[in-house]
Amino acid sequence: MAAFIKFAGIRLSSALATMLLVSLVVFSLMELVPGNCAERYIAYKSTQGQIITQADIHAEEVRMGLDRPYLERWVKWISKAIFRLDLGESCLWRIGVNNLIGDKMAISLLLSFAALFVTYLIAVPVGIFSARVKDSLFDSGLRAFSYLGLALPNFMLALAVMLIGTIYFNDTLTGLFSEAYRNAPWSMAKFLDMMRHAWLPILILGWSATAIQLQTVRALMADEQSKLYVLAARARGLSGWSLLMRYPARHALGPVINSIGFDLNRIFNDLPIVAAVLALTDAGALLLDALAKSNDQQLAGAIILIMTAVIVALNFVTDLLLAIIDPRVRRGFF
Amino acid sequence: MPFFKNRTIKKEDYYTASQMQLVWARFARKRSAMVAAFLLFFFIFCGVFAGFLSPYDPTTAGRDKNYENGAPQIPQFCDDNGCNWHPFIHKVERYRGMDTNFRWVTRQTDKRNYLTFLPEVKPYRMLGIPMKHRLFGVEDGFVHLFGTDAAGKDVFSRTLHAIGISLAVGTIGVLISFVLALMIGGVAGFFGGWVDVVLQALMDTVKTTPTIPLFMALAAFIPDEWSSEMRFAFISMILGLLGWGTLARRLRTHVLAERTADYVLASKLSAAGPAHIIRRHLIPSFTSYIIVDLVISFPYMVLAETSLSFIGLGLKDPVNSLGVLLQNATKVDVLLNYHWYFIPVPIFVIIVLAFVFVGDGLRDAADPYSETR
Repeated sequence: MAAFIKFAGIRLSSALATMLLVSLVVFSLMELVPGNCAERYIAYKSTQGQIITQADIHAEEVRMGLDRPYLERWVKWISKAIFRLDLGESCLWRIGVNNLIGDKMAISLLLSFAALFVTYLIAVPVGIFSARVKDSLFDSGLRAFSYLGLALPNFMLALAVMLIGTIYFNDTLTGLFSEAYRNAPWSMAKFLDMMRHAWLPILILGWSATAIQLQTVRALMADEQSKLYVLAARARGLSGWSLLMRYPARHALGPVINSIGFDLNRIFNDLPIVAAVLALTDAGALLLDALAKSNDQQLAGAIILIMTAVIVALNFVTDLLLAIIDPRVRRGFF
Repeated sequence: MPFFKNRTIKKEDYYTASQMQLVWARFARKRSAMVAAFLLFFFIFCGVFAGFLSPYDPTTAGRDKNYENGAPQIPQFCDDNGCNWHPFIHKVERYRGMDTNFRWVTRQTDKRNYLTFLPEVKPYRMLGIPMKHRLFGVEDGFVHLFGTDAAGKDVFSRTLHAIGISLAVGTIGVLISFVLALMIGGVAGFFGGWVDVVLQALMDTVKTTPTIPLFMALAAFIPDEWSSEMRFAFISMILGLLGWGTLARRLRTHVLAERTADYVLASKLSAAGPAHIIRRHLIPSFTSYIIVDLVISFPYMVLAETSLSFIGLGLKDPVNSLGVLLQNATKVDVLLNYHWYFIPVPIFVIIVLAFVFVGDGLRDAADPYSETR
């Protein structure tokens, strides 16, 4: 047990170190953008007819703490984010980033995790089955499908679905809410309405992750099947599904769990682009807006930081999970 | 597989064959990889010689202002007036009258417009060479195999140029990430210890952060007043700067395993420096893997560029790429009426697939244990 706690401790500290490094990178990116928040705020004020001097800009910079050295501001930003879960203030909207992205981030995470769930729900059983009927027509068909998952990026698939939707169903299938619920406060009815629209983004977000995971599961299973222990089990009279589930499937589970974080990364990658195609109103769209239109680096930095934090956290959890469920690793700890 | 087929196989042939010959022989045996390689060369050819192959300039300079959002015109041999060996299309005309409520419309006429081979056009430059001819055209006016977009630009010409641009972006990006991966992975593996720990942490960070949002954040730096060439260079650079993680990690593992090998010790004893050993001994032992990895990472670069351009943070209009071509395709009227906007999509899917198959084939071919002899 002590060894396990030590292992968890090391993993946790390495995850935190990664997070710090990411936050430094993100913060530097935000800093490198020409013009800081104070200048932009003042520029906005000057459009309102006020006369702005250099002294005003400087006063505003002091108020925002922008006159402090770079590293000091980074430490302040990240410590506020860690200890008070406060991600600072949006440059454009002049309100806390938390208020701005709160429920949009929740929607995004919900969509992403649903997509992740669907990915594994499809990829694991179908992959195992495909390895069982290796080199059959079904297997070859699946392989072609997987290649398409790589070559047809998610947003192009979304475009294709929209194309078909407009031609045959006269509906672009876009958006997350019906007209009635768009600005309504959260309620059960609004949630259900969202779920009715969310199936398409979920499927599209999971598309390439599913295709690639399917191949991984299949390859893992196919590898394991030709090993000697499977032959030994067969000699003892095991066969078919019971053999498959008893040994190779459990063996293949480890690498599959390991890749969950990577798949979430893949899904997050597509979030802003799919949001743009399907006219979603989630954090992906907000990120796109902050970067492409309003140049709101505070907001963009916060969203990227949250996404990375979720991935790092998930990686940490899967590492622990792997150590707990895999007897080869577990024996060292307990 | 010309190496084995053309003459009787002698055992010595197998043992005296060079590394490249063996790889080629194994690669050529796989039909899907060969077909993919053929397709790939075809499209690379199309992309490189886009200027000559496309009938018009892909920018607004080559637009057909009488045929905006026009449907594809497919050359035909027959019409109501009989057949002809010479392919032609029907001419279009601008018309305004009582029946159209006095609005200008473009409509097709019965007049034939024959295709011409190597017509002389306004001088242009392809790869820096001044040229006066294009591959094909029509006797009078314009021919649009893939239709036109909202500004009247020829989609066929744009697609060909887009192939070239996308391949160029991918090549530059892959080269940059390749050099970075070689340096970082080689150094991390060779020195080990704390250098390795620090560089590993760096690799982990680059790998954990979602790439596209990071690309977007970097691409958002581009000031609006930059020329399209600078934009192009910057985007390729970003793609390269963020894409080195996987290759660097593989190189590191390999170097880590090889650095205790006897030949490394031998060269150390011969007073060779670290740079010399990495360059002359370790990297060559890894060449085939590097090549394979480059081919495999190529489509990811192309797709990342496509995504960036699609959302408007990558390349912009005068420069063509698939993402730029698709920028307007989410509008409802495009989805409903102008389906030829999507013709470039299957072409790009084929190119990416070709890369994937060639990469897979090369990977199998480069692995000396893949052979069942």
